[in-house]
Amino acid sequence: MELTPDILKKLIKSAQMAADHEIGCNECFDELHEFAEMELAGKSPEEAKPLIKDHLDKCSSCREEYQALLEALRTIESDN
Amino acid sequence: MFNWFKKHRKEKSSYETNEEWVEALKPPVDERAVALLRQKLIRGLKPALHKYVDRELDQFVEDVAQDALLKVLDNIDSFRGDSKLLTWAMKIAVREGLTELRLKRYDDISIEDLKPDDDSREVFSLSMASSETSPDRSLHESKLVDKVMTIINEELTDKQKQAINALMIQRLPGPVVVKQMDTNRNALYKLVHDARLKIKNKLELEGIDPDEMLDQL
Repeated sequence: MELTPDILKKLIKSAQMAADHEIGCNECFDELHEFAEMELAGKSPEEAKPLIKDHLDKCSSCREEYQALLEALRTIESDN
Repeated sequence: MFNWFKKHRKEKSSYETNEEWVEALKPPVDERAVALLRQKLIRGLKPALHKYVDRELDQFVEDVAQDALLKVLDNIDSFRGDSKLLTWAMKIAVREGLTELRLKRYDDISIEDLKPDDDSREVFSLSMASSETSPDRSLHESKLVDKVMTIINEELTDKQKQAINALMIQRLPGPVVVKQMDTNRNALYKLVHDARLKIKNKLELEGIDPDEMLDQL
């Protein structure tokens, strides 16, 4: 197994971005519906819930779920 | 008698407010509300999941909606009313669907296949990849690698090393690492967050600027 400069960069960047307080996937999920509604309403969820935004930026699984949720909600809204 | 009255009182053709939805989804449930919610979940899930499902999307989405409905009904008392009920229910359905898809995606990989070999288990056994850069540059990079490796080996727990190795160096997908380490997504995120923080703090303590380090790579 070899450590390439690219991996080293990723590791350092990841450490550099670490904040003292970050929420986990469970806490993110707990508020994701509120965050999504704010975004769809054109409000600024990243300002109201910066920890959720931070988690979504750093967690690909939660981000994937969030994007799918937005897609689903937009479809439902377009029916109304 | 009361339940009969309640059930019949609740039958409606539309559910506009959260109160109406919650009332209809609490026992004894209003079947029309359940059917309407199922229909809306299916309507939303199809476009949300279609790019992940290569065949039998309709059947998959119907199964996911059904499982999600059961979770919604089981947890209706925990709905806080801080969004529309449909948004909350859709969140549950989307997670249900993507979790199922992730499980299917890695279903064929056995735990044995996921076990790292002896070399990859130990982060300190990693070596710098040979590069085509100048000898001076390679030497400098090697020193940076040594520095980071020393921090990793001295500061991180074995589990943190294993997680960093699997996610960042072997680049295994998160669900695979969760399975490999017999943990869950939330615990893995927190484990890695703590590891990242330890590396960051140690770099700061040693007066190393990560930006300068990155510039030198």
